[in-house]
Amino acid sequence: MNATDITDAQLAAAYLLLLFPLAVFLWYGVALVAESLLSVARMTVQLLFVGFYLQVVFQWNNPWVNGLWIAVMVIVADASIVRGCKLRVRRFALPLALALLLGVLVPLLLFLLVIIRPEPLFDARYVIPIGGMILGNCLRADIVGVSGFYEGIQKREKVYVTALAAGARLHEAVLPFLREALEAALRPTIATMATIGIVSLPGMMTGVILGGADPMTAIKYQIAIMLAIFTGTAITVTLAIYLTLGNSFTAYGMLDKDIFQRKNAQN
Amino acid sequence: MTEVIQIHNVSVCFANIPVFESIHLSIANKEKITIAGPSGSGKSTLVRCIMGFVPIATGSVFINNVELTPRSVWRLRAQMAFVAQEPELGDGTVREALTRPFSYHANRHIQYSETEALRLFDHILLPCDLMDKETSALSGGEKQRVALVGALLLQRPILLLDEAASALDETSKTAVRDFLTDRTDLTILSVSHDTRGFAFSGPVTDITRMTRKAAS
Repeated sequence: MNATDITDAQLAAAYLLLLFPLAVFLWYGVALVAESLLSVARMTVQLLFVGFYLQVVFQWNNPWVNGLWIAVMVIVADASIVRGCKLRVRRFALPLALALLLGVLVPLLLFLLVIIRPEPLFDARYVIPIGGMILGNCLRADIVGVSGFYEGIQKREKVYVTALAAGARLHEAVLPFLREALEAALRPTIATMATIGIVSLPGMMTGVILGGADPMTAIKYQIAIMLAIFTGTAITVTLAIYLTLGNSFTAYGMLDKDIFQRKNAQN
Repeated sequence: MTEVIQIHNVSVCFANIPVFESIHLSIANKEKITIAGPSGSGKSTLVRCIMGFVPIATGSVFINNVELTPRSVWRLRAQMAFVAQEPELGDGTVREALTRPFSYHANRHIQYSETEALRLFDHILLPCDLMDKETSALSGGEKQRVALVGALLLQRPILLLDEAASALDETSKTAVRDFLTDRTDLTILSVSHDTRGFAFSGPVTDITRMTRKAAS
């Protein structure tokens, strides 16, 4: 049931593929040669480390270690959301971490407890890749959702203030911005579901097929994971906005401009 | 007469630079007063202070003898209607913009009346067919008047106008002023840099005389 291993020499041969894009860049003078080489080097080093860690984690296959791995991934994702949204770390790190954790755990637990029911339940082979896929999507959705929400209020402050003046409470005045942010954050997943299988063969399905499984098994996994991702992103974005609301407005209901990091000199 | 709005010794700073200092102002019930002053003198800021949109550095604001605080602001805002300079009506049609505030909890006790809205349209020279127009397609003067209709529909006793007629032509300005002057039930505070064009017959005060402006 295992995929054929790739020997070191064969992997080295894979790098020969780089000759084609690099030749195109050099020929047409596209300034991407150094960047490409750097990115390939980074990818290699990062994946080697992950491969090494995962090998150890898979050998132990201890539910606590697997949980810790998910926790570490959540913290790393949390930091990159705060950075991606250009928000003050101190105020947002904790509520966003909680939003991510719940966004991952709810669909992951459903996946493990109801859908696959592996033996042992928290098998690293399932917990880590599935948790990682849900988390990656939650991360992207949170960046789009949270930054869209706060920047929307900042850019269209007059609309927000008009609502307050007309008697809206905070949760009523933010509602149009919440709707827009959720729409922007969830639309990519919805669009992916609509075209999946036609436009591209998804990564997970490819993985399952390479792992030696039947294509029908692979699509069942893919359907389940897409539903889990959709659920996870909806949960995490809603929570991310609601959990940060309390800390982002002044006592008079105005957006606290201090939530944004200072703009760079170039802006 | 009872005082509806009282401003005691209020100062406002933006980034540690004073906009105005130690302003005093009292507005009696059903009084209609106009505050004049050049651009940048803090007129808009003063109105936004009363609505609780701008933090005050010192002093206090009272609405119907209740001090404006983080606790009271939500209740007090519901007693005032505000028309901003260059108002933004939100997405959708004019009708949607006018009905939206009626979904807020604070306005549950009143109902939107299209008849009343159209009656107000007529008074301030807006055509009825504007109702179905997208708010983004309105001119500046139309937006200002639709915002005014929206404010009046909320049936609040206090009306705060921030340059609310600045984009109107002379005929519309007169219509709006005459209509509001006849509304003897309303207490109105209007700020305007052009008081010859838009002012009520009541007192006109220059903001620069109400305040000890920061050392300039």
